[in-house]
Amino acid sequence: MSVADIEAASTATSRAQKLSIRGLNKSFGAVHVVKDLSIDVEPGEFLVLLGPSGCGKTTGLRMIAGLEVADSGQIVLGDSDVTSVLPKYRDVAMVFQSYALYPHKTVADNIGFPLKVRGLPIEQRAAAVREAAAQVHMDDYLDRYPRQLSGGQRQRVALARAIVRRPSVFLMDEPLSNLDAKLRGYMRAELKHMQHELGVTTVYVTHDQVEAMTLAHRVAIMDEGVLQQIGTPRDVYDRPANLFVAGFMGSPSMNFIRGSVENGRFESHGVSLPLVDAAPGGDVVMGFRPEDAQVVDPGAGLFDAKVFTAELTGDVTLVTVALGDTSLAVKMPKEYEVDYDSAVAVTLPLPQAFLFDARSGQRLPARFAEVAR
Amino acid sequence: MTFGDPTQRARGSSGIGRFFEAPQIGRMSPASRLIVYSLLLFWSAFVLFPLYWIVITSVKLPIDVNDGPAYLPFIDFAPNMHAWRDLLVLDLAETVKPYRNSVIIALFATIACMLIGSMAAYALARIEYKPKFGTILLFVVAMVGASVSVGIWGVDWRLAAASAGAIFVLLARALGRRFKRSVGNGDILFWMISQRILPPVVTVVPVYMMFQSVRLLDTHFALIVTYTVVNLPIVVWLMYDFFSGIPKDLEESAQLDGASRLTVFYEIVLPLARTGLAATTLLVLIFSWNEYVVALFLSTTNAQTMPILVAAMNGGEKGVLWWKMCVVIIIMIIPVVLMALVLQRFISKGILLGAVKG
Repeated sequence: MSVADIEAASTATSRAQKLSIRGLNKSFGAVHVVKDLSIDVEPGEFLVLLGPSGCGKTTGLRMIAGLEVADSGQIVLGDSDVTSVLPKYRDVAMVFQSYALYPHKTVADNIGFPLKVRGLPIEQRAAAVREAAAQVHMDDYLDRYPRQLSGGQRQRVALARAIVRRPSVFLMDEPLSNLDAKLRGYMRAELKHMQHELGVTTVYVTHDQVEAMTLAHRVAIMDEGVLQQIGTPRDVYDRPANLFVAGFMGSPSMNFIRGSVENGRFESHGVSLPLVDAAPGGDVVMGFRPEDAQVVDPGAGLFDAKVFTAELTGDVTLVTVALGDTSLAVKMPKEYEVDYDSAVAVTLPLPQAFLFDARSGQRLPARFAEVAR
Repeated sequence: MTFGDPTQRARGSSGIGRFFEAPQIGRMSPASRLIVYSLLLFWSAFVLFPLYWIVITSVKLPIDVNDGPAYLPFIDFAPNMHAWRDLLVLDLAETVKPYRNSVIIALFATIACMLIGSMAAYALARIEYKPKFGTILLFVVAMVGASVSVGIWGVDWRLAAASAGAIFVLLARALGRRFKRSVGNGDILFWMISQRILPPVVTVVPVYMMFQSVRLLDTHFALIVTYTVVNLPIVVWLMYDFFSGIPKDLEESAQLDGASRLTVFYEIVLPLARTGLAATTLLVLIFSWNEYVVALFLSTTNAQTMPILVAAMNGGEKGVLWWKMCVVIIIMIIPVVLMALVLQRFISKGILLGAVKG
């Protein structure tokens, strides 16, 4: 999705606000959790903060919400600097991982709470609650208590409570992680549809890269408090900025083969491959996706290896081969069968492989040249 | 016999064996049910018999009490309402006064204690305090200095308090950053409960002298203040646990929904802590209602409470007036039982169910 598309989506509502985070820092004691985080979220954009647990993504979100105070940096919502504004005045709504429903209030009272504290008259409130509940298909459950609902229903009530007052920004902290796999897929689609309908600027935190890929207009990948890369899902998948992003996106993750560059050629495991835009010499890592590679007969491929396991996952057969100490995953058609420990070779269209600097982890501009064989 | 022999297992779950085996987890076997209910029955009798005895003694004539045990009204002895008449008709004023005192003192002490205590407990549960060890020491030294200069050198107390305060603030600001060791919420909580380690009896004489010097002996106020202070640690300790049990997410969510700190407390926290509030209120109420030693010291005529009246039935040239004492005890128990029944409704389980996850 291009920036133009995002802007087109944002015209769906004029309420959508731009959210800018500039140079945000946060430490808990000696631990520097968020380091110089700067992101611009376009009006109506669905931005996903993705990263492993403890990477600072939730802390970042909580700073946007105002639940944590930033040590330094700036948060601008629309035209106003909200860095030191109390959460209740920020006009943001948050869906918590735990849903955080008020257990002593009915579904209707839960959804209506944001309107109640704003002093909205009771008839208007009831109408707004019904509308929000209908949007998440919970209008038949208004008199129930949270304890009488299933996980998915609670999740929807939490969503309704967030949308009922039309906030400028939605914040979601792993809202789907407590649901079972089937429900998660369903709610993911619902969520995406709803965000599209409402056109509200959304920041969504998750550690699930599938969720990030499917939901996001743009994905921001974080590790150890540092923003690693921000771009459209296709961007970060096809052009990962560094080893971390390359390894984090995709399941199973990208295969890495350590090697070195000598005289403009990649050398590893007795294989020498020519490079275009020759990189400076030194230790490098070659990376390629499991779905790009193929297992072929020994001698017919690039790297000769031994089969470690072959697992039928349903749609594909996942073959893991051992290349010295390195294990490589290759996605093969589901009909593919192979014996354990048999000698095979791995091949791939070389222009689709990446080259990373082994020390800094950054992707190098050099590409592999096509090898005629 | 082999371990997994199916015939053995079949035999085990039939016949006499069944009597000792639970039909499923969470259920009791008939044998244990028999034992448990017998024990409960025995314990009920053990607890209830004294109450029964008090009730029948209150309708006995002195002669029925003194001439050895009489167990059953209408059979062993003829019930007579003379003690009730004495206390509730002839000497009504004498009975009502301590009763009113007890109600006022227990009620206000409980309200004050719950208000202050739950706020303190909530603060301890939600805000992280890190007072520096040195600062606390400085404060204590300043206070001791002020007290000594007032008590020994006769300095005007306002002057002493003001200068001690000023010295403390100046020193704390000047040296505060140099202090490394600090105490946390756990230490504060322990310090709170540590005040109950000392038996209250030990402090009765100093407390008496304190109220004497401010001329508040024999007033409701003195007893209300004392009961509030004595019960405060229990309230803080118990309520801390209840407040800590409320997920923080709920409060943060309410804040984002636009609620102020106060709204969060009244709309979210208090309703969820009502189980704890009810239980703690009942506990504090009973403590204040039944307290004897402090009341004995701090009240003489005007502020006498019911426990003092009970004790007053014992002694004098007539010996112990058991029948009257029993009447007083009964009318003393009634409001507590009523309170317990009212608060029982709030002491329900599973109130937090459905708050977070499932």
